[in-house]
Amino acid sequence: MEQFLQQCVNALQWGSFYALIALGYTLVYGVLRLINFAHGDIFMVGAYISFFLSTTLLAPDGWFDFSRELTLTLTIPLVVLLTSFVGVALERIAYRPLRRKGAHRLYVVITALMCGLVLENGNLALLGASRRTLPQLMDKEVYMIGSIAVTNLKLWVILTAFLVFFILHFVVTRTRIGMAMRAVSWDRFALPLMGIPLDSVIVFTFVLGSGIAGLGGMLFAMSYPVLEPYMGAMTGWKAFIAAVVGGIGDIRGAFVGGFLLAFVEIMVAAFLPSTFRDLFAFSILLLILWIKPTGFFGMPQTTKI
Amino acid sequence: MLCVTALKAAYGKIEALHGISFHVERGEIVTLIGANGAGKSTTLKALMRLTPPESPTVTGGDIAFEGKSILGMEGHNVVDKLKMTLVPEGRHIFGNLTVMENLTLAAWTRRRESPRKDIEHIFELFPRLAERARQRSNTLSGGEQQMLAVGRALMTKCSVLLLDEPSMGLAPLIMYDMFRTLKQLNSEGLTIVVVEQNAKLALQVADRGYVLDTGEIVAGGYSAELLQHLEIKAAYLGG
Repeated sequence: MEQFLQQCVNALQWGSFYALIALGYTLVYGVLRLINFAHGDIFMVGAYISFFLSTTLLAPDGWFDFSRELTLTLTIPLVVLLTSFVGVALERIAYRPLRRKGAHRLYVVITALMCGLVLENGNLALLGASRRTLPQLMDKEVYMIGSIAVTNLKLWVILTAFLVFFILHFVVTRTRIGMAMRAVSWDRFALPLMGIPLDSVIVFTFVLGSGIAGLGGMLFAMSYPVLEPYMGAMTGWKAFIAAVVGGIGDIRGAFVGGFLLAFVEIMVAAFLPSTFRDLFAFSILLLILWIKPTGFFGMPQTTKI
Repeated sequence: MLCVTALKAAYGKIEALHGISFHVERGEIVTLIGANGAGKSTTLKALMRLTPPESPTVTGGDIAFEGKSILGMEGHNVVDKLKMTLVPEGRHIFGNLTVMENLTLAAWTRRRESPRKDIEHIFELFPRLAERARQRSNTLSGGEQQMLAVGRALMTKCSVLLLDEPSMGLAPLIMYDMFRTLKQLNSEGLTIVVVEQNAKLALQVADRGYVLDTGEIVAGGYSAELLQHLEIKAAYLGG
């Protein structure tokens, strides 16, 4: 029982990472019906940006020589901002020209896949294969709740994921830009007729999705401080699957799906040989999709012909 | 006020308009009539400066609004700056939003003001929408959806309203109601350009009309003349 509860805490932390990435997948899909396969690598870019920012700000012989607390508080908003720029750049350079030409969705998805590879291998070419280690930005404290150990960082990660989710949910359901995002997903043609610039809505979506992935990348790098160019690939794929199981296009689905995947993974690894982890985890997800192909929150889509 | 000269428009390499000219004055109701594929919808999409692939590219001629060419403008700016908008064919309401949300969203260009007063005005015009305010709009009937499409367009505070086949798929009674409402809006100062396949109905409310045939304007004039013309044609050809 104790071990189970301890694993639940771990699952909540892993789920937070998956959820933060899955939210971006689902946002972009919801608005553009595009599976942005470069999204996992945006997460990686976020982790690297946090590495470069924090080492620059901390460097004792550098310009700044900031304290760790100050570095942390400055790095978080800057990572979100800079990572969202990368996402917006992708949209500008890769997706928008295709959209303008009315390219079939398949070509856009393949473009996204290629963008991801460009980010991974660009990173490899620029920075080399050596792994980087994020400096410690926060003193580690361990709290004991009964016999369950929780670090302060874990609590922050989980708290951030929930906070991001609630803010995002509010934006999408209650604000006018959120309304516009939902409207685009239904009917892109009519949006300019309301005087709404379609491109701005799309850019806003990429800002949100990439910014959140950047934040996830930073939190991930703080928790597991080893960075390598392919760190976003597998995690990204898994988060994408989590978003689909939750019902892609619905942010509640991405959130729940992320935690579900982490829960299954951690529990399999905890109570079975850990080599079975992915096999079991994905078999279970396969079973869920088999029962409910649209995911938990997904609605069957009717495509207009 | 709106002046189209020798307008050519194409989808990719296929030319859909071969140089049409017409004009619309403030306060008028003008109708474009013609058979399927004559280029009526294409004309409206070109006027709205909507982008390919759904809409055509202008390849020649000019569209001028109060004397200034609008060819360099983007669709959302046509709505925002010129106060002209379109109720598209097939309505294109946002089916996943409620009636209220559809109307609120359409007040986008006036972000600072609360849209409540304007929404009340729309509800006075179309009381049926008030009853359905909190409903997802894809659950509305065809007539109600058309009311919402018109109401949504009016929420942009447009002074020129383009309508593409507003009678399509409507029961006759609802159709007459819709045209009566359009007439009333016109008497309050709204300029209307309406595209119709139902030529008779359109000419009964319009001041002037143009007849389009395969991308060219083949006739134009006051509604009464065109109506007579059509009736003569129908009498001889059994249309």
